[in-house]
Amino acid sequence: MAKLPPKRQADIKLENLLRLKRFERPSDQFWNEFDRELHQRMLQTLVKKDPWYLQVMHVFSGRILQSTAIAVAAVLVAMIVVRPAFQSTKLPIAVAQAPADDEFDASIAIAMTELTLAEATSLPNYDSDVISAEATSDEVNFVRDFGMEQMRVASYDATAYSTDSAQARVAFASAGVASLVY
Amino acid sequence: MAITGSVSKAFAHAEETPVSERDLDWSVVQSVQAGNVGAFDQLVQKYREHIFSVIYNMTSNREDASDLTQETFIKAFQAIARFKGKSSFFTWIYRIAINTTNTFLKKRSRRRYISYENINEEVTSSEIFERLTAKSRSEKGALVHELQEKLNDSLQKLSPKHRTVVVLHEIEGLSHNEIAEITKTTVGTVRSRLHYAKQQLQSYLKDYIS
Repeated sequence: MAKLPPKRQADIKLENLLRLKRFERPSDQFWNEFDRELHQRMLQTLVKKDPWYLQVMHVFSGRILQSTAIAVAAVLVAMIVVRPAFQSTKLPIAVAQAPADDEFDASIAIAMTELTLAEATSLPNYDSDVISAEATSDEVNFVRDFGMEQMRVASYDATAYSTDSAQARVAFASAGVASLVY
Repeated sequence: MAITGSVSKAFAHAEETPVSERDLDWSVVQSVQAGNVGAFDQLVQKYREHIFSVIYNMTSNREDASDLTQETFIKAFQAIARFKGKSSFFTWIYRIAINTTNTFLKKRSRRRYISYENINEEVTSSEIFERLTAKSRSEKGALVHELQEKLNDSLQKLSPKHRTVVVLHEIEGLSHNEIAEITKTTVGTVRSRLHYAKQQLQSYLKDYIS
Protein backbone atom coordinates (compact mmCIF):
# COMPACT_ATOMS: atom_id res chain seq x y z
CA MET A 1 0.00 0.00 0.00
CA ALA A 2 1.19 3.47 -0.79
CA LYS A 3 1.80 5.93 1.99
CA LEU A 4 -0.18 9.09 2.18
CA PRO A 5 1.01 11.95 -0.05
CA PRO A 6 3.27 14.40 1.83
CA LYS A 7 0.84 17.29 1.59
CA ARG A 8 -2.01 15.30 3.15
CA GLN A 9 0.32 13.72 5.68
CA ALA A 10 1.18 17.15 7.05
CA ASP A 11 -2.46 17.78 7.88
CA ILE A 12 -3.03 14.65 9.93
CA LYS A 13 -2.44 14.73 13.66
CA LEU A 14 -2.34 11.81 16.03
CA GLU A 15 -5.32 13.04 18.06
CA ASN A 16 -7.44 13.31 14.93
CA LEU A 17 -6.41 9.88 13.81
CA LEU A 18 -7.32 8.38 17.16
CA ARG A 19 -10.65 10.20 17.11
CA LEU A 20 -11.37 8.52 13.83
CA LYS A 21 -11.66 5.25 15.70
CA ARG A 22 -14.85 6.49 17.32
CA PHE A 23 -16.58 5.74 14.08
CA GLU A 24 -15.61 2.10 14.07
CA ARG A 25 -18.93 0.80 15.23
CA PRO A 26 -20.70 -2.51 14.81
CA SER A 27 -23.93 -2.84 12.88
CA ASP A 28 -27.41 -3.25 14.35
CA GLN A 29 -27.30 -6.93 13.45
CA PHE A 30 -24.27 -7.32 15.69
CA TRP A 31 -26.14 -5.77 18.63
CA ASN A 32 -29.16 -7.97 18.11
CA GLU A 33 -26.94 -11.03 18.31
CA PHE A 34 -25.10 -9.53 21.26
CA ASP A 35 -28.32 -8.97 23.22
CA ARG A 36 -29.57 -12.47 22.50
CA GLU A 37 -26.31 -14.09 23.69
CA LEU A 38 -26.07 -11.89 26.75
CA HIS A 39 -29.62 -12.70 27.84
CA GLN A 40 -28.88 -16.40 27.49
CA ARG A 41 -25.75 -16.12 29.58
CA MET A 42 -27.52 -14.05 32.23
CA LEU A 43 -30.27 -16.64 32.47
CA GLN A 44 -27.65 -19.36 32.86
CA THR A 45 -26.08 -17.29 35.61
CA LEU A 46 -29.41 -17.01 37.41
CA VAL A 47 -30.16 -20.72 37.14
CA LYS A 48 -26.67 -22.04 37.71
CA LYS A 49 -25.68 -22.54 41.30
CA ASP A 50 -22.31 -21.23 42.38
CA PRO A 51 -19.58 -23.77 43.17
CA TRP A 52 -19.22 -24.60 46.88
CA TYR A 53 -16.07 -22.49 47.30
CA LEU A 54 -17.81 -19.42 45.92
CA GLN A 55 -20.74 -20.00 48.26
CA VAL A 56 -18.32 -20.23 51.18
CA MET A 57 -16.65 -17.02 50.04
CA HIS A 58 -19.99 -15.27 49.88
CA VAL A 59 -20.93 -16.55 53.32
CA PHE A 60 -17.71 -15.23 54.81
CA SER A 61 -17.93 -11.90 53.04
CA GLY A 62 -19.78 -8.79 54.12
CA ARG A 63 -21.43 -8.60 57.51
CA ILE A 64 -20.67 -12.14 58.57
CA LEU A 65 -16.99 -11.48 58.01
CA GLN A 66 -17.22 -8.30 60.05
CA SER A 67 -19.00 -10.03 62.92
CA THR A 68 -16.47 -12.86 62.83
CA ALA A 69 -13.62 -10.38 63.00
CA ILE A 70 -15.27 -8.63 65.96
CA ALA A 71 -15.77 -11.95 67.74
CA VAL A 72 -12.14 -12.94 67.24
CA ALA A 73 -11.02 -9.53 68.52
CA ALA A 74 -13.26 -9.92 71.58
CA VAL A 75 -11.80 -13.36 72.35
CA LEU A 76 -8.27 -12.00 72.04
CA VAL A 77 -9.04 -9.09 74.37
CA ALA A 78 -10.68 -11.47 76.85
CA MET A 79 -7.62 -13.71 76.80
CA ILE A 80 -5.32 -10.75 77.44
CA VAL A 81 -7.46 -9.50 80.35
CA VAL A 82 -8.38 -12.82 81.96
CA ARG A 83 -5.08 -14.67 81.64
CA PRO A 84 -3.09 -12.65 84.24
CA ALA A 85 -5.91 -13.04 86.74
CA PHE A 86 -5.99 -16.76 86.08
CA GLN A 87 -2.25 -17.01 86.63
CA SER A 88 -2.42 -15.10 89.95
CA THR A 89 -5.04 -17.53 91.31
CA LYS A 90 -3.08 -20.52 90.13
CA LEU A 91 0.05 -19.78 92.17
CA PRO A 92 -1.31 -20.49 95.76
CA ILE A 93 -2.71 -23.79 94.59
CA ALA A 94 0.74 -24.88 93.49
CA VAL A 95 2.25 -23.84 96.86
CA ALA A 96 -0.42 -25.67 98.79
CA GLN A 97 0.37 -28.84 96.93
CA ALA A 98 4.11 -28.54 97.50
CA PRO A 99 4.24 -30.19 101.01
CA ALA A 100 2.38 -33.19 99.76
CA ASP A 101 4.71 -33.62 96.81
CA ASP A 102 7.90 -32.91 98.67
CA GLU A 103 7.18 -33.71 102.30
CA PHE A 104 10.77 -34.30 103.27
CA ASP A 105 12.08 -30.94 102.09
CA ALA A 106 9.18 -29.14 103.72
CA SER A 107 9.75 -30.79 107.08
CA ILE A 108 13.41 -29.86 106.95
CA ALA A 109 12.55 -26.29 106.15
CA ILE A 110 10.13 -26.10 109.06
CA ALA A 111 12.64 -27.68 111.45
CA MET A 112 15.38 -25.30 110.41
CA THR A 113 13.08 -22.34 110.85
CA GLU A 114 12.11 -23.46 114.35
CA LEU A 115 15.74 -24.04 115.25
CA THR A 116 16.73 -20.65 114.04
CA LEU A 117 14.00 -18.95 115.97
CA ALA A 118 14.92 -20.82 119.16
CA GLU A 119 18.57 -19.99 118.89
CA ALA A 120 17.90 -16.43 118.02
CA THR A 121 16.47 -15.82 121.48
CA SER A 122 19.63 -17.08 123.19
CA LEU A 123 22.14 -15.77 120.74
CA PRO A 124 25.43 -14.91 122.50
CA ASN A 125 26.63 -11.38 122.39
CA TYR A 126 29.71 -11.31 120.23
CA ASP A 127 30.11 -7.61 120.43
CA SER A 128 32.70 -8.05 123.16
CA ASP A 129 33.93 -11.60 122.59
CA VAL A 130 37.66 -11.95 122.80
CA ILE A 131 39.76 -14.38 120.88
CA SER A 132 42.95 -14.97 122.76
CA ALA A 133 46.17 -16.44 121.37
CA GLU A 134 47.40 -17.07 124.90
CA ALA A 135 45.08 -19.98 125.52
CA THR A 136 46.59 -22.26 122.90
CA SER A 137 50.16 -21.10 122.89
CA ASP A 138 51.44 -23.95 125.16
CA GLU A 139 49.78 -26.75 123.27
CA VAL A 140 50.94 -25.95 119.77
CA ASN A 141 54.56 -25.34 120.70
CA PHE A 142 55.41 -22.30 118.78
CA VAL A 143 57.17 -19.17 119.78
CA ARG A 144 54.84 -16.39 120.21
CA ASP A 145 56.40 -13.35 118.73
CA PHE A 146 53.50 -11.09 119.31
CA GLY A 147 52.07 -9.73 122.40
CA MET A 148 48.72 -10.37 123.91
CA GLU A 149 46.60 -8.95 121.39
CA GLN A 150 42.96 -8.88 121.37
CA MET A 151 40.93 -8.94 118.30
CA ARG A 152 37.47 -7.80 118.33
CA VAL A 153 35.11 -9.31 115.91
CA ALA A 154 32.38 -7.19 114.62
CA SER A 155 28.98 -8.30 115.71
CA TYR A 156 27.68 -8.69 112.19
CA ASP A 157 30.50 -11.09 111.34
CA ALA A 158 30.22 -13.07 114.55
CA THR A 159 27.53 -15.41 113.40
CA ALA A 160 29.46 -16.31 110.29
CA TYR A 161 32.66 -17.04 112.15
CA SER A 162 31.22 -18.86 115.10
CA THR A 163 30.34 -22.52 115.01
CA ASP A 164 28.24 -22.10 118.12
CA SER A 165 25.57 -20.25 116.38
CA ALA A 166 22.63 -22.11 114.96
CA GLN A 167 22.33 -19.43 112.30
CA ALA A 168 25.90 -20.08 111.33
CA ARG A 169 25.21 -23.77 110.99
CA VAL A 170 22.35 -23.07 108.72
CA ALA A 171 24.42 -20.68 106.67
CA PHE A 172 27.31 -23.08 106.64
CA ALA A 173 25.20 -25.93 105.48
CA SER A 174 23.55 -23.95 102.77
CA ALA A 175 26.53 -22.03 101.48
CA GLY A 176 29.31 -24.51 102.26
CA VAL A 177 31.71 -21.71 102.97
CA ALA A 178 34.52 -22.17 105.46
CA SER A 179 35.63 -19.19 107.35
CA LEU A 180 38.95 -18.38 108.81
CA VAL A 181 39.15 -16.91 112.23
CA TYR A 182 42.76 -16.02 112.24
CA MET B 1 -13.16 19.24 23.01
CA ALA B 2 -14.79 18.56 19.69
CA ILE B 3 -17.38 15.92 20.25
CA THR B 4 -18.85 13.99 17.39
CA GLY B 5 -20.82 10.78 17.12
CA SER B 6 -23.48 9.32 19.36
CA VAL B 7 -20.99 7.75 21.79
CA SER B 8 -19.35 11.06 22.44
CA LYS B 9 -22.71 12.78 22.65
CA ALA B 10 -23.66 10.42 25.42
CA PHE B 11 -20.51 11.39 27.29
CA ALA B 12 -21.12 15.05 26.63
CA HIS B 13 -24.55 14.64 28.18
CA ALA B 14 -23.01 12.85 31.13
CA GLU B 15 -20.51 15.66 31.61
CA GLU B 16 -23.24 18.29 31.56
CA THR B 17 -25.36 16.60 34.19
CA PRO B 18 -23.11 14.17 36.04
CA VAL B 19 -25.14 14.18 39.25
CA SER B 20 -28.46 13.36 37.62
CA GLU B 21 -26.90 10.65 35.45
CA ARG B 22 -25.34 9.12 38.50
CA ASP B 23 -28.60 9.31 40.43
CA LEU B 24 -30.47 7.81 37.52
CA ASP B 25 -28.09 4.88 37.33
CA TRP B 26 -28.21 4.46 41.10
CA SER B 27 -31.99 4.25 41.09
CA VAL B 28 -31.83 1.52 38.42
CA VAL B 29 -29.17 -0.32 40.41
CA GLN B 30 -31.35 -0.17 43.52
CA SER B 31 -34.23 -1.53 41.51
CA VAL B 32 -32.10 -4.48 40.39
CA GLN B 33 -30.90 -5.01 43.94
CA ALA B 34 -34.53 -5.09 45.08
CA GLY B 35 -35.19 -8.00 42.74
CA ASN B 36 -36.22 -6.34 39.48
CA VAL B 37 -33.72 -8.24 37.35
CA GLY B 38 -35.17 -6.89 34.13
CA ALA B 39 -34.08 -3.37 35.07
CA PHE B 40 -30.49 -4.41 34.49
CA ASP B 41 -31.25 -4.40 30.78
CA GLN B 42 -31.55 -0.60 30.94
CA LEU B 43 -27.97 -0.39 32.11
CA VAL B 44 -26.86 -2.81 29.40
CA GLN B 45 -28.55 -0.77 26.69
CA LYS B 46 -27.04 2.43 28.01
CA TYR B 47 -23.45 1.29 28.37
CA ARG B 48 -22.95 -1.61 25.97
CA GLU B 49 -21.58 0.51 23.11
CA HIS B 50 -19.18 2.42 25.35
CA ILE B 51 -17.89 -0.77 26.95
CA PHE B 52 -17.60 -2.53 23.63
CA SER B 53 -15.71 0.41 22.16
CA VAL B 54 -13.19 0.46 25.00
CA ILE B 55 -12.60 -3.28 24.86
CA TYR B 56 -12.49 -3.35 21.08
CA ASN B 57 -9.83 -0.65 21.01
CA MET B 58 -7.91 -2.44 23.71
CA THR B 59 -7.95 -5.82 21.98
CA SER B 60 -8.30 -4.77 18.33
CA ASN B 61 -10.43 -7.84 17.80
CA ARG B 62 -14.17 -7.79 17.27
CA GLU B 63 -14.97 -11.30 18.55
CA ASP B 64 -12.85 -10.91 21.66
CA ALA B 65 -14.43 -7.54 22.31
CA SER B 66 -17.91 -9.01 22.03
CA ASP B 67 -17.12 -11.86 24.44
CA LEU B 68 -15.41 -9.58 26.93
CA THR B 69 -18.23 -7.04 26.84
CA GLN B 70 -20.69 -9.79 27.68
CA GLU B 71 -18.39 -11.05 30.42
CA THR B 72 -18.21 -7.54 31.84
CA PHE B 73 -21.99 -7.28 32.12
CA ILE B 74 -22.26 -10.79 33.57
CA LYS B 75 -19.71 -9.89 36.24
CA ALA B 76 -21.52 -6.66 36.99
CA PHE B 77 -24.82 -8.50 37.23
CA GLN B 78 -23.37 -11.06 39.62
CA ALA B 79 -21.77 -8.39 41.81
CA ILE B 80 -24.48 -5.74 41.69
CA ALA B 81 -25.88 -6.83 45.06
CA ARG B 82 -22.58 -5.76 46.61
CA PHE B 83 -22.44 -2.42 44.75
CA LYS B 84 -22.85 0.24 47.45
CA GLY B 85 -22.91 3.30 45.23
CA LYS B 86 -19.70 4.79 46.60
CA SER B 87 -18.61 5.44 43.03
CA SER B 88 -20.86 5.95 40.04
CA PHE B 89 -22.12 2.92 38.14
CA PHE B 90 -20.37 4.36 35.11
CA THR B 91 -16.98 4.25 36.88
CA TRP B 92 -17.69 0.83 38.35
CA ILE B 93 -18.66 -0.84 35.05
CA TYR B 94 -15.71 0.73 33.25
CA ARG B 95 -13.38 -0.57 35.96
CA ILE B 96 -14.80 -4.07 35.54
CA ALA B 97 -14.34 -3.82 31.78
CA ILE B 98 -10.73 -2.63 32.05
CA ASN B 99 -9.80 -5.28 34.60
CA THR B 100 -11.49 -8.03 32.59
CA THR B 101 -9.71 -6.94 29.44
CA ASN B 102 -6.32 -6.65 31.09
CA THR B 103 -6.70 -10.12 32.59
CA PHE B 104 -7.59 -11.43 29.15
CA LEU B 105 -4.60 -9.69 27.55
CA LYS B 106 -2.24 -11.19 30.11
CA LYS B 107 -3.59 -14.67 29.44
CA ARG B 108 -3.44 -14.26 25.70
CA SER B 109 -0.16 -15.97 25.00
CA ARG B 110 0.25 -15.20 21.37
CA ARG B 111 -0.92 -12.27 19.37
CA ARG B 112 -4.26 -12.80 17.69
CA TYR B 113 -5.18 -11.49 14.34
CA ILE B 114 -6.40 -7.93 14.30
CA SER B 115 -9.85 -7.24 13.00
CA TYR B 116 -11.53 -3.92 12.67
CA GLU B 117 -14.95 -2.52 12.23
CA ASN B 118 -15.89 -0.59 9.14
CA ILE B 119 -16.01 3.11 9.67
CA ASN B 120 -19.52 4.38 9.42
CA GLU B 121 -19.07 7.05 6.79
CA GLU B 122 -22.62 8.29 7.03
CA VAL B 123 -22.21 9.60 10.54
CA THR B 124 -18.63 10.73 10.12
CA SER B 125 -18.18 14.46 10.08
CA SER B 126 -14.66 14.56 11.38
CA GLU B 127 -12.22 16.88 9.69
CA ILE B 128 -9.67 14.17 9.48
CA PHE B 129 -11.98 12.07 7.39
CA GLU B 130 -12.56 14.96 5.07
CA ARG B 131 -8.84 15.49 4.74
CA LEU B 132 -8.42 11.87 3.88
CA THR B 133 -10.98 12.14 1.16
CA ALA B 134 -9.40 11.30 -2.13
CA LYS B 135 -10.64 11.90 -5.63
CA SER B 136 -11.89 8.40 -6.12
CA ARG B 137 -13.93 6.40 -3.62
CA SER B 138 -11.73 3.34 -3.92
CA GLU B 139 -8.58 5.31 -3.09
CA LYS B 140 -10.25 6.84 -0.06
CA GLY B 141 -11.29 3.44 1.20
CA ALA B 142 -7.78 2.09 0.78
CA LEU B 143 -6.25 4.98 2.70
CA VAL B 144 -8.72 4.66 5.53
CA HIS B 145 -8.14 0.95 5.83
CA GLU B 146 -4.40 1.42 5.78
CA LEU B 147 -4.60 3.99 8.54
CA GLN B 148 -6.90 1.80 10.60
CA GLU B 149 -4.56 -1.12 10.29
CA LYS B 150 -1.48 0.90 11.20
CA LEU B 151 -3.22 2.59 14.11
CA ASN B 152 -4.51 -0.70 15.55
CA ASP B 153 -1.11 -2.23 15.11
CA SER B 154 0.53 0.70 16.90
CA LEU B 155 -1.97 0.57 19.74
CA GLN B 156 -1.20 -3.09 20.26
CA LYS B 157 2.48 -2.25 20.64
CA LEU B 158 1.70 -0.15 23.71
CA SER B 159 1.59 -1.74 27.14
CA PRO B 160 -1.96 -2.39 28.46
CA LYS B 161 -1.79 0.43 30.99
CA HIS B 162 -0.65 2.96 28.38
CA ARG B 163 -3.17 1.66 25.88
CA THR B 164 -5.93 2.00 28.47
CA VAL B 165 -5.21 5.67 29.01
CA VAL B 166 -5.02 6.45 25.30
CA VAL B 167 -8.25 4.60 24.55
CA LEU B 168 -10.17 6.19 27.42
CA HIS B 169 -8.94 9.72 26.81
CA GLU B 170 -8.32 10.10 23.10
CA ILE B 171 -10.97 7.74 21.75
CA GLU B 172 -13.65 7.67 24.45
CA GLY B 173 -13.15 11.26 25.48
CA LEU B 174 -13.02 10.69 29.22
CA SER B 175 -11.37 13.29 31.42
CA HIS B 176 -8.16 12.72 33.34
CA ASN B 177 -10.09 12.63 36.60
CA GLU B 178 -12.49 9.99 35.34
CA ILE B 179 -9.63 7.84 34.07
CA ALA B 180 -7.79 8.22 37.37
CA GLU B 181 -10.89 7.05 39.22
CA ILE B 182 -11.44 4.10 36.89
CA THR B 183 -7.83 2.94 36.95
CA LYS B 184 -7.36 3.81 40.64
CA THR B 185 -4.35 5.97 39.95
CA THR B 186 -3.60 9.67 40.30
CA VAL B 187 -4.29 12.32 37.70
CA GLY B 188 -0.54 12.88 37.43
CA THR B 189 0.00 9.24 36.58
CA VAL B 190 -2.71 9.41 33.95
CA ARG B 191 -1.13 12.47 32.35
CA SER B 192 2.31 10.91 32.45
CA ARG B 193 1.11 7.69 30.85
CA LEU B 194 -0.81 9.59 28.23
CA HIS B 195 2.20 11.70 27.33
CA TYR B 196 4.45 8.67 27.01
CA ALA B 197 1.89 6.68 25.04
CA LYS B 198 1.37 9.49 22.54
CA GLN B 199 5.10 9.81 22.06
CA GLN B 200 5.29 6.13 21.33
CA LEU B 201 2.41 6.31 18.87
CA GLN B 202 3.99 9.30 17.16
CA SER B 203 7.13 7.30 16.56
CA TYR B 204 5.21 4.25 15.31
CA LEU B 205 3.10 6.35 12.93
CA LYS B 206 5.73 8.85 11.84
CA ASP B 207 5.25 7.91 8.18
CA TYR B 208 1.57 8.72 8.31
CA ILE B 209 1.13 11.73 10.55
CA SER B 210 2.72 15.11 10.94
